[in-house]
Amino acid sequence: MVNLKKLFTPVKSIDNETAKKFIAEHPEGSYTLLDVRQPGEYEGEHIPGAKLIPLPGLKDQLSQLDKQKPVLVY
Amino acid sequence: MGGRSLAAAQLLSGLDFKEIYNLKGGIKAWQGSTAEGPQEFNLDLVSGDETPSEMIALAYGMEMGLGIFYQNLIETADDAELKALFTKLAEIEGHHKQRLLDLLAEIDPPAKDIEAYEAAIKPAILEGGFELDDFMQKNESYLQKVSDVLDLAMMLETQALDLYLRFGDKSTDTGSQQVLFKLADEEKAHLESLGQLIEKKFL
Repeated sequence: MVNLKKLFTPVKSIDNETAKKFIAEHPEGSYTLLDVRQPGEYEGEHIPGAKLIPLPGLKDQLSQLDKQKPVLVY
Repeated sequence: MGGRSLAAAQLLSGLDFKEIYNLKGGIKAWQGSTAEGPQEFNLDLVSGDETPSEMIALAYGMEMGLGIFYQNLIETADDAELKALFTKLAEIEGHHKQRLLDLLAEIDPPAKDIEAYEAAIKPAILEGGFELDDFMQKNESYLQKVSDVLDLAMMLETQALDLYLRFGDKSTDTGSQQVLFKLADEEKAHLESLGQLIEKKFL
């Protein structure tokens, strides 16, 4: 049975300014910055310290992420 | 743009992740500095099992490399304003080195002889992992104008921040990770002050 609540979990979308503030205010190691684009895009340009897990493989690589830490994804 | 990150964020929120934020508009909306290179870029510089003091020595070598880079520029610059800027940037590297020695003192008995400590370190690579000689030659043309120099300094600090964090991700030693995260936090603050300097001067 499909869990509708999970399908429609609201996600907070934040703008550039808020994201910058988030990164400035959070000590490194206390959050995850996640890049879900493809490796070529990451290579061209990425936010410093971003962890690369392309969207197609995300579900299989969840063990690389800490559920307890806030995740900022782009 | 940003459709993929929204999909990823929704996937994670359905899997009990506590707090998820989606950057609206993705990287196109991002106006901060960015780093270049593949995820494994310069990761061959570490094995991942370095102790905190080994990690500090590695970072110290990179700071030394950058210090030497700025020192060379101070000596060759004709323009007084450029000379002053290189001096300021060299000073900042000096602070970073001191910070590393402080971190080291928290772990090991303080290094009594800084010169001997430095002598044992080979400053072949710059902060961020660039080869010193190669980097000097390639970037000579970007070192003639104050605005270009500030851009280059920002680029170096951004690459350093990115590299420290990727080292942290590879490291299996919790203590080394803590060191790297602290260094990254400092690079972040440093980048912010460089950004403010650029704004004050040019905008």
